[in-house]
Amino acid sequence: MAIASRPSPIAWLLAPALLLFVLFFVLPFGVMALMSFYSGNPATNSNAFLTTRHYERFVFDSAGIYHDALWATLRIGLITTIVSLLIGYPLAHWMARMQSRLGHALVLMAVIAPMLTGIVVRTFAWMTILQDKGVINTLLVDWGIVSKPLPLMYNEFGTVVALVHIYVPFMVLTLTGVIGRIDERLEQAARSLGAGRLRAFVEVTLPLSLPGILAGSLLVFALSISAYVTPSLMGGTDVLTLPMLIAQQVGTSFNPNFAGALGVVLLLVSLLIVIAYNRILARLSGEQGLA
Amino acid sequence: MNVARNKQPFDAGRAAYLTLNGLLLTFLLAPIAIVLVFALNPTPYISFPPVGVSLRWFEKFFRTPEFTNALWLSLWIAGCVLVLSIVIGGACALALARGNLPGRSFLTAFFMSPLMLPAILTGLALFQSYLLAGIGRPVWGLIMAHTLVSVPYVIRTTLAVLHNFDRRIEEAAAVLGASPTRVFFEVTLPLIRPGVFAGGVFAFIVSFDQFPVSLFLVVPKGETLPVVLFNYMKFDLDGAIAAASMVSILLALSVVLVLERLIGLKAYVKL
Repeated sequence: MAIASRPSPIAWLLAPALLLFVLFFVLPFGVMALMSFYSGNPATNSNAFLTTRHYERFVFDSAGIYHDALWATLRIGLITTIVSLLIGYPLAHWMARMQSRLGHALVLMAVIAPMLTGIVVRTFAWMTILQDKGVINTLLVDWGIVSKPLPLMYNEFGTVVALVHIYVPFMVLTLTGVIGRIDERLEQAARSLGAGRLRAFVEVTLPLSLPGILAGSLLVFALSISAYVTPSLMGGTDVLTLPMLIAQQVGTSFNPNFAGALGVVLLLVSLLIVIAYNRILARLSGEQGLA
Repeated sequence: MNVARNKQPFDAGRAAYLTLNGLLLTFLLAPIAIVLVFALNPTPYISFPPVGVSLRWFEKFFRTPEFTNALWLSLWIAGCVLVLSIVIGGACALALARGNLPGRSFLTAFFMSPLMLPAILTGLALFQSYLLAGIGRPVWGLIMAHTLVSVPYVIRTTLAVLHNFDRRIEEAAAVLGASPTRVFFEVTLPLIRPGVFAGGVFAFIVSFDQFPVSLFLVVPKGETLPVVLFNYMKFDLDGAIAAASMVSILLALSVVLVLERLIGLKAYVKL
């Protein structure tokens, strides 16, 4: 490998980005962590004191809602991830193995176009589909399949459906890259040795794409546990997640310090996932370098 | 292999595979198409099937100051974010790729981390910092927040372009007597331009559609379009929302086409 050499003058171009990230990213997260240990805003309230009461409130959870919210957040994240994987894998496989360049570009556009549509807009789209007078229920009632509308929205089901739609492109893009790098001839070799197509896939391609599955799943999980718009619009009164709780504390209870403590909890969960994700990504690019 | 495939009269496995993928594509695209139907449907509430075609909801959208003010504010912020993130992200990517920096992969992961950490927390952290600093919630604070979550896209697309082009082009220019400054301005910069622009366009969309980062940072009467739509949707679901959605979908679609022309969408696939 290259002998360690001194940074070139071009390295100075990093300065603006570094400044932006220190001032508007690292420092604010430090402030959030600090505020979570204060009783109030120390800048405006001279009586504000250091305390761990916000964390105690979360840990002892006398009202019994914070732990529920944490579990709901993780549960919705997990289900969203699994469904995204089941939906994303066939699409990614199809795209990675597609011979036609035009076909590939078209499918890629179809995957990226929803990503470029805002979360609020996509959640709205699902509300028009899943609500009582929405597309699905109207059709089901009109065709006489059900007598009254199915509860498709204002619950966890609707939340997960919309979240999957919003985050599945991330799964597809991660998987496509990994599956595309698997040598197709390996599968062909397995087939010429007598394996059926399904067996060749299950025993050759699937295991080789495992790092992609893991990376994509971690990404979707990290994104869906931090979702706010979709659970609050699609979940109704049935769903309360950590990000919704945080917004409540800031907006209606005006307790930014407790919101900070809840934020630190969510941040710790996310950081664990991000670190794992980066490990896998680093290993993937390492393998690519050797190939 | 293709020949062998064509010899078989009907391949049930392949047909199932293609049908499945067709259904999945429908799942991805149908919601967007349905929004268009509702935007053009004249009934006062969202109802299906549509009864006709009208532009009344687009009219309502563009005649309601609440919406148009928010639209202009969002466009203005996104424009600022576009410029800022091009400059900051482009420079950062060059430094990462050509600066001989120690700990490069760590730095790259660090600059990508706003995309992975909960955006609502980025908003909360900035909200608390502005609160602590006693500066209120200025528009520039919102612009910086959006820039922070947009810069990673510019870094990513620029790095992808830098990764693909042959470094020997720069070396050749240097060997032929060009000074490092001249190599930079006449070789490197034109080569990375499409990557930087593509990232900038992406940054524009990220800012225009941004919700979680904006949530705590907007002031009443100074809300961006997604925040206005969100608040409206909590109480009312009519065609105006569909029309507003359509405006932002059309914007996004035109951006996809521009991106494809500029650098090809493939650059987004690689992380």
